[in-house]
Amino acid sequence: MRSNYGLGHYLLPIFVFFIYILLYCPIIVLVLFSFNKSPLSYKWVGFSFCWYKELFQSVEILAALKNSLIVASVSVFFSVSMGLFYVFYGTSRFLNRMIVFFYGSLIAPEIVLAVILLNFFTFFSIPLGLATLIVGHTLIGLGYVVPMLRNRYSEIDYSLIEASLDLGATRNQTFLKIVVPLLSPAIISSALLVLIVSFDDFLISFFCSGAVTLTLPMYIFAEIRAGATPVVNALSTLLLVTSSFLILILTSLKMRTRIF
Amino acid sequence: MRSENLKTVFKQDRPFFLAIPAILWPAIFLYIPLVFLVGISFLKSFDYSVFDYSVIDALTFNNYRLLFSFTYVKILFRSFYLAFFTGFFCLLISYPIAYFLALRVGRFKNLLLFFLVLPFWTNFIVQVYAWFYILDVKGVLNTVFLKLGIISEPLHILYTPTAIYIVMLFCYLPFMVMPIYTSLSKIEKDTLEASDDLGAKPWQTLLYVTWPLSLSGVVTGFFLVYIPSFGEFVIPTLLGGGKIMFVGSLISYFFLDTKNIFLGAAFTCVSGLFLIISALLIFWIFRRYAKKVGGIYEK
Repeated sequence: MRSNYGLGHYLLPIFVFFIYILLYCPIIVLVLFSFNKSPLSYKWVGFSFCWYKELFQSVEILAALKNSLIVASVSVFFSVSMGLFYVFYGTSRFLNRMIVFFYGSLIAPEIVLAVILLNFFTFFSIPLGLATLIVGHTLIGLGYVVPMLRNRYSEIDYSLIEASLDLGATRNQTFLKIVVPLLSPAIISSALLVLIVSFDDFLISFFCSGAVTLTLPMYIFAEIRAGATPVVNALSTLLLVTSSFLILILTSLKMRTRIF
Repeated sequence: MRSENLKTVFKQDRPFFLAIPAILWPAIFLYIPLVFLVGISFLKSFDYSVFDYSVIDALTFNNYRLLFSFTYVKILFRSFYLAFFTGFFCLLISYPIAYFLALRVGRFKNLLLFFLVLPFWTNFIVQVYAWFYILDVKGVLNTVFLKLGIISEPLHILYTPTAIYIVMLFCYLPFMVMPIYTSLSKIEKDTLEASDDLGAKPWQTLLYVTWPLSLSGVVTGFFLVYIPSFGEFVIPTLLGGGKIMFVGSLISYFFLDTKNIFLGAAFTCVSGLFLIISALLIFWIFRRYAKKVGGIYEK
């Protein structure tokens, strides 16, 4: 716009660059130290893969990974299928207005959700474990899935649905053959989103899992409190790589997915 | 129009019950339990040491009375300060970043956005853990500062409130940048050029045109940071070393350590109310300010 740039013109990029460095510096150091030979965390001795080897031999971590995967995939399935049904079949005015219902789990601080759920489960003496974790994660997942799918659904060219119904398809056939394929990018991206959120979630898991069922973030939390070994760094590095990869897929799916 | 179409076309086969599970889930697992929690906060127990509902004695306000002590009110305000200043400092840092991304940078915009969002989607605990390497007595910060001669003695930042504030700031940064970025990129370039053409200096354009037009993003961003930081549990617990209590850590202390659910429920209700009232108050102030500068404040 203006030709005579002031000092601010150069200051701004430098500032942004500086903040980016501060954002990434801890993560880079963390990754570096996962290759450190020494078990003493803060001193660099030499390059080694030994912590990764140890990581894959740890029974505890594998069990935690299994739990995390089960919880994440089941809650993705539940929240996406329920959300999809709601978006397509919930056409009455009443059901339509109920959308505000789903924002509750997004707005409330997570610790409140966790406490509410824990309190509820104990009241009915439901044993804490994988099932209660799935309940909690599905609750959070629905908050992400429903608004996303609804946004996409309202953007569908409605004449396609009308044409399908005109040509004699039932509503269920239209759902399966027209709506689901049209929504598939949104379905995939919301599923990925819930997968990431559930995989990363700590608080709900911490409160609703009982003492026995450990997920990966809980394992890391416990290790940090006890004084972590570089095995945690190796695990963190792998988690970082995985979630960056998933985010890369999510953003490259070339659709109007708002990550926020 | 669309709803009318739906009515005429689908009158015969509308298996609305398929939409019900999605509604029932939050109803059963969020709203009904919420009522439970509020109810429990009014119950009296003769045995506070067990997590058991069979020991309920009578209805009482006693739990709330117990909370009116200096210790608990102090914790409430400590969390308020933490949330407010995290929001405030996040805004100070985020605004230039969002401004740069939305209005200055051209070619690498998507790449920079990607790298901004990436830490947000990586595991939160991992992110917090990474900061230990920076802030520890033998960590990166002290090593670099000692080598450069900025300090002569290593700083003890870890396990202090400073550590909590620093890490909160960086972990919540993307929450603030994204909404501001969105509202800034919606501003038409013509508007800014008009201001420029009419003789405004860059800082005047920023102060009187850009800033008021981006207020909706600022408000959204502030609350996206303020609300979760109020109940933050992980960062104070890990980086504060468990010495300094915040709302999140106190709630978990009541429910998981002392198993005093009655007092815990009461404290959760009080802090929830405190959060809502303070958020409304801040929003009201924001709105008055926005009206004064002629900005957009609707969400």
